[in-house]
Amino acid sequence: MPKKTILLSALVVALAQIGFLGWMIMARAAVLRDGREVLLKVEPVDPRDLLRGDYVRLGYEISSIPAHLFRNVDEAGIGPDVDVTVRLSRQSDGFWHATDAWIGQSVAGAATEAVDISGKTTSGFFGSEDNQVVSIDYGLERFYLPEGEGLAIERDMRTRNFGIKAAVAGDGTSQIKALMDGDTLLFEEPFY
Amino acid sequence: MTSYASRVKKDIMRWVEDGLITSVVAEQLALDVESRDRKALNFGSILAVLAALLFGAAILIFVAANWEGIPRLARVTMLFALILAAYMSGAWFKLRDHAAIGEACWIVGAAAFGGTIALIGQMYHMSGDEASALIVWMAATGLAAAALRSSMLTVFGVGIAIAWLFVGDFDPFGTHSLPHIFLLFLAAFWMLSYWTRSQPARHVILLTLLSYAVVWALDGDVFETAMVVAVVSVVLLALSLLLPEQTDRFVQLGGYLPLHGLIGFMTGIFVIQMYRFEDGGFVLAAIAALTVIAATLVLGGRESKALRWLAYLGFAIELAIVYLVMVGSMAGTAGFFLVAALILALLAFVIIRIEKRMKPSVQGAV
Repeated sequence: MPKKTILLSALVVALAQIGFLGWMIMARAAVLRDGREVLLKVEPVDPRDLLRGDYVRLGYEISSIPAHLFRNVDEAGIGPDVDVTVRLSRQSDGFWHATDAWIGQSVAGAATEAVDISGKTTSGFFGSEDNQVVSIDYGLERFYLPEGEGLAIERDMRTRNFGIKAAVAGDGTSQIKALMDGDTLLFEEPFY
Repeated sequence: MTSYASRVKKDIMRWVEDGLITSVVAEQLALDVESRDRKALNFGSILAVLAALLFGAAILIFVAANWEGIPRLARVTMLFALILAAYMSGAWFKLRDHAAIGEACWIVGAAAFGGTIALIGQMYHMSGDEASALIVWMAATGLAAAALRSSMLTVFGVGIAIAWLFVGDFDPFGTHSLPHIFLLFLAAFWMLSYWTRSQPARHVILLTLLSYAVVWALDGDVFETAMVVAVVSVVLLALSLLLPEQTDRFVQLGGYLPLHGLIGFMTGIFVIQMYRFEDGGFVLAAIAALTVIAATLVLGGRESKALRWLAYLGFAIELAIVYLVMVGSMAGTAGFFLVAALILALLAFVIIRIEKRMKPSVQGAV
C-alpha cells in the first residue's frame, strides 16, 4: 500500500466511525427534544431480575396489555418478536394508559390527545382463555444509574409509585426522559 | 519453545563445525533466516495485541461504571478523540515498520468504537438492543479491516460475531432456534480475510464453524448434521492431503487444513457414535474413524508432527469409546483397569512404532 494511502484510509475510517456515532447521538437527542411527553406507570419486576449491573430493570403497566385491545388480530393470533403499535392516552391519574393496539402500524393516526408508541412483543397470548395478555418491550426497560445507586431505588420501587417520563417521536420511537418518584423528579436526562 | 530461526541457526553452526559450509555462507544464511523471522508473528506482537485487548476492556469497563466524575458529553468526546488517535497512530506505526504495534492500535480504535456505542446506549437508557449494537460494531470493524487491510481487525470482527451469537437469542440449551445468519457473517469474514491476508482469522472461523455445527447437531437432527460435518471434513482432509499445494492455494491456511479436516471429522464421528451406540452404525463409524486416522498417518504423518499427534489423540479417544460401548457393559471395575492398561499399552506401542518410522525424515518439521 502506498505510504499516504494508509494514513488517509485510517483517517477516513476514524471519521466515518465518529460520524456514525455522532449521528446516533443526534437521532436519540432529537427524540428527547421533539417527542411527545407521556408519563408511564412503573410496575415492580420480578425482584431477582430487578437489578443487573448498573441499571434498574423497569416494567410498565403497558408492558403487558390485554389481547382484546388489539384491533387487527385474526385467528393466527400474535407471536413473539412482532412489531406492534400501542395507542396511549392520558387519564385522570396523570398516567398514560393503553387504549388500543395494532400489529404493525396503527390504522389511523392518533388524535391530538393520544400518542402512538411502537414496541415488540416478547410473547404471544398467555393467561386464561378469556383473559389473555400480550407482553411488549418498548426499549424503555432499563434505567442506567451511577454505580451503586441502583439498590436503594430498587427497594423504594416496591413500596411507592414510580413513574417514567418518556418522549415519543412521531414514528413511535420512545426514549426515557426522567425517572419520577411519585411527583418528585429523581433523575432527568439532558439531551446530550 | 524454540523458534524456527534459532533451530536453523543451531543447524548452521553444526554445519560449519562439520565443514559442510564456510563461515561466510553461514553468516549469510543466518542473516537471511533472521530477516524472514522478524516478519513472523512473534512473542512481542502477541503481547502487543494482548495489551490492546486489555486496553479495550478497560475502556468498556470504564463506560460500564457510568462514572459521573466526568460529564458524559466529555466522556463521548474523549472516546471520539481516542478513536481518531488509535486509527491514526496505528497507520503511523505501520509506516514505521512496527506492524504489530500498528495492528494493536487499531484494535484499541475498534474497541473504543464499541465502547462509545455502549455509552450512547447508557446515555439514552436503551434496552434490549445489545444484539443489534454488536452487529453495528461488527460491521464497522469489518469495514475498518477492509479499508486498512488489517489482519488483526479481521480476527477481532470474527470475535464480535461470536459474541453476538451469545448475546442474541442464542441459548445453547434453550428452545430458540439457531440464528443461521451467523454463517453468513462467517462467510463474509472468510472472504474479507483473503483481502486482509488474515490467516489467523480463517483458523478461528473454521474452529467456530465446527463448534457451531456441533451445537446445531445436538439441537436437532443429531445424526444428519454430524454426518454432514464428518463427510465435509473428510473431503477437506483428503483434498488437503492428496493435493496439498492446490488446496492451500485456495484456502491459504499455511498447510494447516489437514488439522482442521481431522478435527472436524473426529468430532463428527464421535457425535455419531454417541448417538447411535446401540445399533450397527456404531461399528461402521468406528471402522471409518480408524481407517481415516490410519490413512491420515500414512499420507500426512511424515510432514506434520501436529497432525500425527492429533491422529494419536483421535485414536486414543476412539479406543476409549469402543471400549466403553462394547466392553464396558460386561466387565467390572477390575476389568476396566485391565482393559485401560491394555489400551494404553497398545497406544504406546503404536505411537512408538510410528514415531520411530517417521524419525529419519522429520527432523525440523513442524
